[in-house]
Amino acid sequence: MKKVMFCMGIICVVFLMVTPASAARPGFDKKEIRIGQWGPQTGPAAPWGSVARGSGLLFNVVNEQGGIHGRKIKYFIRDDQYNPAQTVAVVKELVEREGVFAFVGGVGGACGKAVMDYLGKNKIIWVGPSAAITDFVFPPKPYIFAVYPLYEDEGSILTKFVVEKLKAKKIGFFYQNDAYGKDGLEGGRKRLATYQMNFVEEIPVEPGEKDLTSQMLKFKNAGAEVVLMFVNPTVATIALKTCATIDYKPQWVSSDTLSDYGLMFKITGGLWEGVITGAFGMTPTADHPLLNMYREAAKKYAPEERWGTFYLAGIVFADPLVEALKRVGPKLSTEACLKQLNSLKDHQTIGPKVTWTPQIHQGTDSIQVQKCGPNAEYILLQDWTSNDLATWKKQPAKKK
Amino acid sequence: MDMKRDYYEDIELFSSGTVLFWSVAFLVFLFTLPLYIPSYNIYLFNIIMVHVILAVGLNILVGYTGQISLGHAGFFAIGAYGTALLMIHLHLPFLMALIIAGLISAFFGFIIGLPALRLEGPYLAIATLGFGLTIMHIIGHWDIFGGRMGISTPPLDLGLQNSPYSFVIEGDVKIYYLILVITVLMVVCARNLMRTRVGRAFVAIRDDDIAAEVMGVNLTIFKTMSFALSAFYAGVAGGLYGFVVSFFDPFTFNLILSIVFLVMVVVGGLGSILGAVMGATLITYLQFDLLKNVEELPYMGEILVQFSRKWLTVIGLANFGSVALGLIMLGIVIFEPLGMFGIWIRMKKYWKTWPF
Repeated sequence: MKKVMFCMGIICVVFLMVTPASAARPGFDKKEIRIGQWGPQTGPAAPWGSVARGSGLLFNVVNEQGGIHGRKIKYFIRDDQYNPAQTVAVVKELVEREGVFAFVGGVGGACGKAVMDYLGKNKIIWVGPSAAITDFVFPPKPYIFAVYPLYEDEGSILTKFVVEKLKAKKIGFFYQNDAYGKDGLEGGRKRLATYQMNFVEEIPVEPGEKDLTSQMLKFKNAGAEVVLMFVNPTVATIALKTCATIDYKPQWVSSDTLSDYGLMFKITGGLWEGVITGAFGMTPTADHPLLNMYREAAKKYAPEERWGTFYLAGIVFADPLVEALKRVGPKLSTEACLKQLNSLKDHQTIGPKVTWTPQIHQGTDSIQVQKCGPNAEYILLQDWTSNDLATWKKQPAKKK
Repeated sequence: MDMKRDYYEDIELFSSGTVLFWSVAFLVFLFTLPLYIPSYNIYLFNIIMVHVILAVGLNILVGYTGQISLGHAGFFAIGAYGTALLMIHLHLPFLMALIIAGLISAFFGFIIGLPALRLEGPYLAIATLGFGLTIMHIIGHWDIFGGRMGISTPPLDLGLQNSPYSFVIEGDVKIYYLILVITVLMVVCARNLMRTRVGRAFVAIRDDDIAAEVMGVNLTIFKTMSFALSAFYAGVAGGLYGFVVSFFDPFTFNLILSIVFLVMVVVGGLGSILGAVMGATLITYLQFDLLKNVEELPYMGEILVQFSRKWLTVIGLANFGSVALGLIMLGIVIFEPLGMFGIWIRMKKYWKTWPF
């Protein structure tokens, strides 16, 4: 037995010394550019998985138009079931086996954080993470380029809308007790301070809470006419249903994470009608030449797909990469692509204007404000609005 | 067949030369594995081994002692957070942090073991379930644990951090060897333990706790010990898991994870170390690989996906994974109560007595 253990020990030491270096492929060749995305296609978070399929539509359209300088885009979607451990698995597989050039989108803050360093080490470009995590871009990471507006900016813009357009005097703030909710609250507070106002009630909520009666009564007793909410779909649904039972009908204003009206309308049993939300893409029903083209393409490539916000988001997040690849020209390399991404200025298709510089990799601070109609249709209330109070644009180095 | 002439033959670690030979051959195979398979698959093997450690530990509790736990994700979380935080804040070497985190987890196991003295069956299941959920929420609440945004693990340093004795391990292959050594050690330990007085006491408690007590088994000591041991295994597994994935948040350690752990043990075979190893391997592989790519299965794939779209989902998407896991578990409980280990035994018997 001792001999066996001894041999094992030796083998083990030998292997620790010599580990084969993984030779990654360059991510493209003369015929194709390989691009990947992870996203939950099954399991409880699957509704957000349409982001990954939306990007697929964009790449289909690009390929149909002849690809990018003769190269077709080969696109890989991998299901990670919203589980960081699985995200790492699929990303490693795509990088080391398929040899992808870049990632786009990618739902889930935790999932993204799990692979952030790995992608950086392997020099894989990652455009448009679909989560507003400040760690992704502050301080700027050389290979990550964000499109998703920060929650702080969104909180600020929505608060301005509530004060100036809705003329509300008593505003409540209902937020998830984590970075998502707190960032939104911070933006809202800063904005209200410019009007010498305060929220009448600021109430945190845990993501798993099921009984919200006391919180809703607090808003009611404080007389809040408008309640801003930065919460998850379940909590929002419970909040709306609770308010219906206590006969309290404030104007709800929500962050863009709940801007999938079709879904929210269904799970709230119609209570979502009239709710105002921020939005990171234009309304799916808008009459815009590009959007009309994508809509037609979707009928062809994905006839079963629901034409919703998150599906469109997939296009919005992936679009700047396509633009940069086009600008690079036929001589493609990661460095050349980075150079183009870093000099992208006011690029806009169906999302906000995106600008990146070598110092700032947060692409935008703009959102639209939209409202849910009686049949879950999208009504545009306010076109692209940027946050004049955004601090990161002026002093990127100071922001953590 | 297996003829035993005295007691010590019955409890030998390797029951015959053949078993010894194949065990060594298997180990050599495992140690040379990175030569045959591409590096991205090594990551999957790392996860599998972490789950093996956990399943072996859970089996000590569920399979050998006959207690149930739906809170093992909690112990897993304590191990993961404990190891990472001890290394970040106290700059301990990895192995020391791992063992201390395991001990902390064992302490919590001991605490949970106390109510288990009075609770049985479904009541114990609910108590442990509550524990698992509580841990998840407490961790999410406190900023020292990274809050709900989770934490990234520091570099895996086997030596003293930031000193000439620092020995940083990087890359899946190196971590693979580290975990492999630890896994082999822990599995052998568990197997050895089951051959001792302690192991037999566990089994006696499982079969009938009153009878065991009458025979002189101290229930208080052995039940809590079983919980603590099992939690120690879960803690060590958690500590390793953190470094395999390199980032985790409280939600990683949710209720579903506890249930999946239990599925591993039941599918593998209750009360068998080999069973736990097989169960953990199969379920992890299913979850991370096969069930996600159901669509790509030949012939079956398309039908299964259509079936799932039509009947098993609210949002119109394929949702086959969890259903398949549930079906596998049901099938095992109904048709093969001994799990994969039972299948293994029958295969062995068949070949040994062949052609009869």
